[in-house]
Amino acid sequence: MSAISTNAAAASAVAMSAKGMNATLLQPAFADPVLDAQRSFRVALKALAGPGVAQSLQSAQTPPRLDGLASASHALCLALLDIDTPLWLAPTFDTPAIRANLTFHCGCPIVSDRQNARFALLDGSQLHDLSGFDLGNDRYPDQSCTLLVQLPSLQGGRQLAWQGPGIESKNHVSLPLQEGFWAERESRNDFPRGIDVFFVAGSELMGLPRSTNVLFKALPSKGDA
Amino acid sequence: MNAATQSHAQPRPERDEAYNFAYLDEQTKRMIRRGLLKAVAIPGYQVPFGGREMPLPYGWGTGGMQLTAAILGAEDVLKVIDQGADDTTNAVSIRRFFARTAGVETTERTPEATIIQTRHRIPETPLHADQIMVYQVPIPDPLRFIEPSETETRTMHALNDYGVMHVKLYEDIATFGHIATAYAYPVTVNERYVMDPSPIPKFDNPKLDMSPALMLFAAGREKRLYAVPPFTRVTSLDFEDHPFEVQKWAHNCAICGSHDSFLDELILDDRGTQSFVCSDTDYCAQRVSQGRAEQ
Repeated sequence: MSAISTNAAAASAVAMSAKGMNATLLQPAFADPVLDAQRSFRVALKALAGPGVAQSLQSAQTPPRLDGLASASHALCLALLDIDTPLWLAPTFDTPAIRANLTFHCGCPIVSDRQNARFALLDGSQLHDLSGFDLGNDRYPDQSCTLLVQLPSLQGGRQLAWQGPGIESKNHVSLPLQEGFWAERESRNDFPRGIDVFFVAGSELMGLPRSTNVLFKALPSKGDA
Repeated sequence: MNAATQSHAQPRPERDEAYNFAYLDEQTKRMIRRGLLKAVAIPGYQVPFGGREMPLPYGWGTGGMQLTAAILGAEDVLKVIDQGADDTTNAVSIRRFFARTAGVETTERTPEATIIQTRHRIPETPLHADQIMVYQVPIPDPLRFIEPSETETRTMHALNDYGVMHVKLYEDIATFGHIATAYAYPVTVNERYVMDPSPIPKFDNPKLDMSPALMLFAAGREKRLYAVPPFTRVTSLDFEDHPFEVQKWAHNCAICGSHDSFLDELILDDRGTQSFVCSDTDYCAQRVSQGRAEQ
């Protein structure tokens, strides 16, 4: 509880003392860092344990707006990142404001090398090339990088059926993604090694763990671009 | 059987502000939460985590408590059971611990709970999609009894090399004529990882298969956590000619008359007179109160 006031106070103190850019860069994070982080995590857990179903964060538990980040991306970063999780930023997100705030509130190192990242923040334009991200290894598949992919919406793309753990029969999902993503994912998914993804749009998020089997052939190519 | 009279959650207790919410510090919770996300993404795989010292000894549920502390929120309703019972020392202590450090509501009713921490049982009442089960696990690796080296077992898991598990079950058949493993009966999760379902009786194994609830497991001493997502195939290891079977009883519960729940044997006197009662106290109490209502 006291952590928030310290954080917020420190943020404003830093903002005041630094006369230049920082004054406008640093913003408060979660209003209640303990419970808001917990709520964001539970939504993320639910999303990953039920792939293909959009979950939404309530506005009361999301952090104040940070330019360039969707509220759910921001909440996931604040809830999951800390000094132990090097973060890779796609060029879109590599802004002074995002760097300053995530470095300050999470304390996460921001790395330029994909291989060293435990989390990565991407937008839709990056998905044709997922090379370099750590996929874990057969003995420690959990050491893989987790991708947070921010999209304009979680709908509007080609409809695909998802199957696997967390899905009772099939979930029909139409994420607006480049076709290249699925081939990239397929080529890097060698269970138990693989990539886990959270797709984020606004205050909504959807999980795609490596265990999900995406079916391409069973569906008619309706609306296929 | 005081659950019969407590059909509703107890009032929300006062949180002890001297502790962080749910006892653990935030960085530890984040570390466990990241581990849980990986555990859910790789069903049945044991994720190492930095287990913390808890204010009770190993073996009393320190792993389960750390998971509960990491997932618990102010709106959750917590149920804790030990061998199916809500009123045993371990269950009462853990429930009080979280009532005090997190100020959450607690309950003995299975359908009302959002998080159920358990030692050695899965409730008889079917679980629903908004519930999370947290299992306390002593030895998380089902291969440990055969291969003591962690380096070796990790390689065996990596290579999907589980033949030795069937040898163990076969030795049962060779010695006793049937598979004698009655609890902590190994399962295969989503056709890949062999997993210890914690020391639940094999009677409960079928409840893991395609359950709508999320199942989380943690071993505090061994510092491992793992998960079975909802709607995941969980099959118990067996042989074509010795298929997996659960325990059956010739008796009914002496209190509620149930003939399909897991029964505990009670010895009533020096001559060995037996009686059988449900191990799940909430299930038993609900059946008793329903029976009374119908009369």
